[in-house]
Amino acid sequence: MKIKFFILAIAIILGVTVGVYFLRPHTFHGTVIQSPDTAHDFTLTSAAGEVSLSDFRGKLVLLYFGYTFCPDICPATLANVGQALRELGNDAGDAQLIMISLDPERDTPEKLAKYTAHFHPSFIGVTGSPEQLAEVASLYGIFYQKTEGSAASGYLIDHTATLLVIDRDGYLKLVFPFGVTVPEIADDLKYMLRQ
Amino acid sequence: MNKTLLHVLYGILAVVMISVFAFKVFQPIQVLPRMQLAPAFSLIDQDNTPLTSEDLRGDFTLYTITYTNCPPPCYNINETMQEVQSRLNEAPLDGIEVNFVTISIDPDRDTPEALNAYARSIGADISKWRFATTTNKSLLKTIIGSGFETYYEDKGDGTFAFDPAFILVDGWGIVRSEYRYATEVSLPDRILRHLGVLAEEVHNSTGSAKLAYEAAHLFLCYAP
Repeated sequence: MKIKFFILAIAIILGVTVGVYFLRPHTFHGTVIQSPDTAHDFTLTSAAGEVSLSDFRGKLVLLYFGYTFCPDICPATLANVGQALRELGNDAGDAQLIMISLDPERDTPEKLAKYTAHFHPSFIGVTGSPEQLAEVASLYGIFYQKTEGSAASGYLIDHTATLLVIDRDGYLKLVFPFGVTVPEIADDLKYMLRQ
Repeated sequence: MNKTLLHVLYGILAVVMISVFAFKVFQPIQVLPRMQLAPAFSLIDQDNTPLTSEDLRGDFTLYTITYTNCPPPCYNINETMQEVQSRLNEAPLDGIEVNFVTISIDPDRDTPEALNAYARSIGADISKWRFATTTNKSLLKTIIGSGFETYYEDKGDGTFAFDPAFILVDGWGIVRSEYRYATEVSLPDRILRHLGVLAEEVHNSTGSAKLAYEAAHLFLCYAP
């Protein structure tokens, strides 16, 4: 009887441990935002015409603010997102990256289309008037300002380098810091795509 | 499946459910919600120097809006800011800095010189409390109206109608608390308590404890 009770106790402890491990909530690599309001909508211009955030309701939207002359952090982040989407396989069709230019002087919609295609064929690049971009960037917590570059690069733009994820219902859900890795992005997107 | 195994499974399920229920009810860890991203901005302060949202990254920041011609007591905004500053040692911040920023909604009259004179007139410590605005009224409306979701309107007679809101932003630029209504607990008391809760999360939410803090967010264990 005592042995039976002992085995039962061990089984429950083991079971709880295994249960907690498998039932534990997903630990996001990005910072989770629990906004009661949907993300700010915007309408900007891509090479294929006007693009609004609300066009993608039902999909995960990754928002990245950058510019095509960006020497390092933009290509690094976009390459990571492109690779993460490739790792998602067919599910990647339910995730859309939109790159919003912070350099309306130099980034035309056509230039953005060519630039984003280097990283993933589904990526969309959009731009707008300086006023429109300033408003959208501010509302997504993206600070940016022109700084001096080299003679070759022209001016540079310092900017907040976060990658934002908006869920299928249009709520800002995740903020990835710069430096987030391919497996981390893929892991969080996989989880969100299952929701 | 024999009876013993079934009992084990029921037992496991019960323990897990009781644990989750106990976590939600007793809230061993309390947090502040991550409400939304605070707007990014570049303003000009009372010393005619730029004040950007990036300058404040890494510290906690308490924002409020007003205008220097607001007739006293003007919702006691300044008194509240001053009381929180003077009692900051009551919050267990453990080295985390707290910035105070008052954004003027009246850029026509609130020039840097006017803001400077105003700050001095109320005895503000401008090393920690910045007064700022921008002459770009459209962007100002975006920052305050859409970004901080705070209403204000120029009445055209030298006065403004506005919501006297206080907004607490963490070091990652995320809005963690808003104070728009009076409660039984005084405003400075609530703000100081929340600063302590936020600092505890910053200091303790590492390693395995991070899971517990994320669970507190998931189960909405919010500090009142």
